[in-house]
Amino acid sequence: MANTIIGSSIVIDGEISGDEDLVIQGTVKGKISLKESLFVEASGVVEADIEVQNVEIGGRVTGNIAATDKVELKADCRVVGDVRAPRILIADGASFKGNVDMDVKER
Amino acid sequence: MAATKEFGSSESTIIGPSILISGKLSGDEDLTVRGRVEGELSLTRTLIVEPSGIVKANVAVKNAIVSGVVVGNITATESVELTKEGRMVGDIRSPRVIIVDGASFRGRVDMGNAEPRPASERPATRPAYRPATASARPATVIARPAAVPVRAGKPAPPPPPGKGDKSDKGEAKPAPPPPPAPVLVGEGGKKKVLLKKKK
Repeated sequence: MANTIIGSSIVIDGEISGDEDLVIQGTVKGKISLKESLFVEASGVVEADIEVQNVEIGGRVTGNIAATDKVELKADCRVVGDVRAPRILIADGASFKGNVDMDVKER
Repeated sequence: MAATKEFGSSESTIIGPSILISGKLSGDEDLTVRGRVEGELSLTRTLIVEPSGIVKANVAVKNAIVSGVVVGNITATESVELTKEGRMVGDIRSPRVIIVDGASFRGRVDMGNAEPRPASERPATRPAYRPATASARPATVIARPAAVPVRAGKPAPPPPPGKGDKSDKGEAKPAPPPPPAPVLVGEGGKKKVLLKKKK
């Protein structure tokens, strides 16, 4: 799968959609919907509702996250919002505020 | 992923072929578009639209290299290049515009020749190409110092306002200095043709 990288100085205000992996090192506001994986790296800032298959968060996310497979909150991430996915991992050191819902009806 | 930090320092962003971004995108690094970007795009570096890339946006960048499709206006502070695979509909505004054989383009090109702003690059290059405007340019330079005297308040009231207009916009020319006036009006008239037309 091709890979898309949003670099650290990039600011996107709007909607991102696609079916390939997306790596965010910059700032995205709005909405993200992907059929593949999303990686929010340590420098990444996301203020958006997220609909993906997998998401790995090492940076900051404000918004609701819905994943069809897995959400992983890594150490040093900061997440505010509701998380909904069949598998949710929260690592030691992660900061998170919001609801967790692993009871996904779709799968 | 740990390596991406230093990868990031090479300052490049890639929008992959299946990605659609609609909205506003801005940044200080090179951007390669293989997917779609719609809305508004502004960068302080280079935009590369690859053959699979589609940009439907108003674009403001330093350099743009178009091998894909661009619909919208491009304003570049340095250069715009349409490669042989490039297709574009819209207006280009940039000091350097390169359109290669095979490229398809519909729209206006404005290289901004008439504007007196980047004086540094003017004197060396331009006169060789166009002697006609070259004669106009020194004239404007002369006209400027002539208008400069601060005590012009009492003898010559018309020059200061004219000079003020000229320095903040190249086009608004009431043009009080008599000698360069005809040429400048000609230039101004040419510029007026370049009115923004939304497609």
